[in-house]
Amino acid sequence: MLLEVKELDAGYGYLQILRKVCLTIDKGEYVCIVGPNGAGKSTTMKAISGLIKPMGGKIIFNGEDITGLPAYEITQKGIAFVSEEMNLFVNMTVQENLLMGAYIIRDKKIQRDRLDFIFDLFPRLAERKKQLAGTMSGGERKMLAIGRGMMSNPTLMLVDEPSFGLAPQLTENVFQSLDVLAKSGVTIMLVEQNVTKTLSVTNRGYVLENGKIGLAGKSSDLANDGYVRKVFLGV
Amino acid sequence: MMAMSEKFSLEFNLKAGENNFMSKNNKAFVGWIKSAPGITISGSIILAVFATIYSGPYILVNVIITGGMLALVATGLTLILGVLNIAMFAHGEYFMIGSLTAYYVFTPISNYVNENPDSILAITGPLIAIALSMISGAIAGVISEKIVFGPLRRRSTDNWVMNSFLLTVGLSVLLINLHQLIFGADFKGIVRYWGGMPTEIAGVFISRDRIMAFIISAFIVLVFWLFMTYTRTGRAIRAVSQDVTGAQIVGINIENIVLLTIALSCALSGVAGGSLLFMYPSYPTMGLEPLYMAWFVVILSGLGNILGAVVGAFMVALLKVMTVEYVGAGWDFVVPSILIMMVLIFKPSGIFGSEVRGVLDK
Ligand SMILES: Nc1ncnc2c1ncn2[C@@H]1O[C@H](COP(=O)(O)OP(=O)(O)O)[C@@H](O)[C@H]1O
Ligand SMILES: [Mg+2]
Repeated sequence: MLLEVKELDAGYGYLQILRKVCLTIDKGEYVCIVGPNGAGKSTTMKAISGLIKPMGGKIIFNGEDITGLPAYEITQKGIAFVSEEMNLFVNMTVQENLLMGAYIIRDKKIQRDRLDFIFDLFPRLAERKKQLAGTMSGGERKMLAIGRGMMSNPTLMLVDEPSFGLAPQLTENVFQSLDVLAKSGVTIMLVEQNVTKTLSVTNRGYVLENGKIGLAGKSSDLANDGYVRKVFLGV
Repeated sequence: MMAMSEKFSLEFNLKAGENNFMSKNNKAFVGWIKSAPGITISGSIILAVFATIYSGPYILVNVIITGGMLALVATGLTLILGVLNIAMFAHGEYFMIGSLTAYYVFTPISNYVNENPDSILAITGPLIAIALSMISGAIAGVISEKIVFGPLRRRSTDNWVMNSFLLTVGLSVLLINLHQLIFGADFKGIVRYWGGMPTEIAGVFISRDRIMAFIISAFIVLVFWLFMTYTRTGRAIRAVSQDVTGAQIVGINIENIVLLTIALSCALSGVAGGSLLFMYPSYPTMGLEPLYMAWFVVILSGLGNILGAVVGAFMVALLKVMTVEYVGAGWDFVVPSILIMMVLIFKPSGIFGSEVRGVLDK
């Protein structure tokens, strides 16, 4: 098992959002969390990546207890987080942003190899490498955020709503690039609003509601589940 | 300076076109505002050239010395603002600490050199004093972070901008009074660092100390700029100032960067105080003038814009020197203040835009 989240409680200040959330991911899996707005999907990812401190429970990554470690140490352990807000460095160029993604890699040669890999994956970023991140379009920024997450060659990627606010065509692009990553052996945990699409590309899924895991199972089963169809797919 | 300014106006002209808040009948005015960097920089250069021709090259010398010093203080201020989100009003006190250190280190050295004129200390002594003023600035910065800012940040970041600002004001008062209590309120100055005959450059005689002061500040600003632009750590500092969460995500230890930033910034202020000891003797409230001048620079060039601060430092220095020359010595605060108010009203993001726009809104 690559990641095991056991009875995780988390929230902001005194406000508890997550209640006893349990989930697991095996190496190489492509897993999703779906759920209504405000269910706590982003909070789950922030807790795993160390941006907020869990109030209780355990997070085990690669057999090691990482509960409560600061975010930079969790990144060094091999978990990359692509946040909903992207958190790009808007006054740096595309290339500088990508190089920042490889901050934990000190070897210049490996950095260059990673950069070439990302530019192959997203030729659009290669064309724009001298442009300031803050002047890019929404879709390009999403690509850049995903590319920056990839730069550290993570074992596990947490991707939060990559298609949020994108035109359908760009959404398609983003899903395709995630597919490429998944096929290249990266383990991915995806949070998405676009439930139909997400369940059709991932292996397994969790349904999060009000800070609790309601349902879990193979994505194809969830897509046919009566409750999911009624609540999320509106059929 | 010239080449750099040109690069700026190019860069910042590209970024123009985001100030659409003015109404249509102000179009011509907006057009002028949009090229503000170009106009101000070329205007400053023309002004400097005319003043030099009209009143003599010593004007230029004064501008360069004052500007170099201001650049050191203002880049530190801008860095602390960008990375720690603190409106720092104790920055002049690190300048004071630097000059105080230089005074107490250099005085015995100078006495020794008077008795042994052939000693190598005649040349290296001032450098030792100046280097130690830099180090003492850094240490004072680290101590402030450890016992003042760090604890506040860990306790609560609610209302951070206001609370941290008030803390810096308190810190400033505390340090000024500590100086007075321990070292007294009198002027602690030196006659010269290197001495010797003034050097003639293009018809003006400039003392060796002034030349060295400029070389030191130019060298430090250059090294600092290279560090910020090309090194891994320098990039990390910029990353933290642009997006703290993003910086954490890519694996940067924020606490380390914060500590390094405050140490660096205070070191820059300390070395400015140390290297100018021959012009400005050390006394408790000596830091207030460089502090206000540096704030003028930061507001003029845009909050958090490091490169802009260097150019802005020379502009404010020019303004100050020209005011003293043509308006009167008592006016050197009034004229820059009026200009700063105009900048705040008409171009609040500063003449060069802002690298960390919105940092104060968080
Ligand atoms: N920084 C924050 N401070 C306080 N409450 C927050 C913060 N971020 C999110 N929340 C609250 O936590 C709940 C879950 O949010 P989130 O995890 O972002 O939901 P989701 O990603 O599933 O839409 C929401 O009720 C939201 O208002
Ligand atoms: Mg969310």
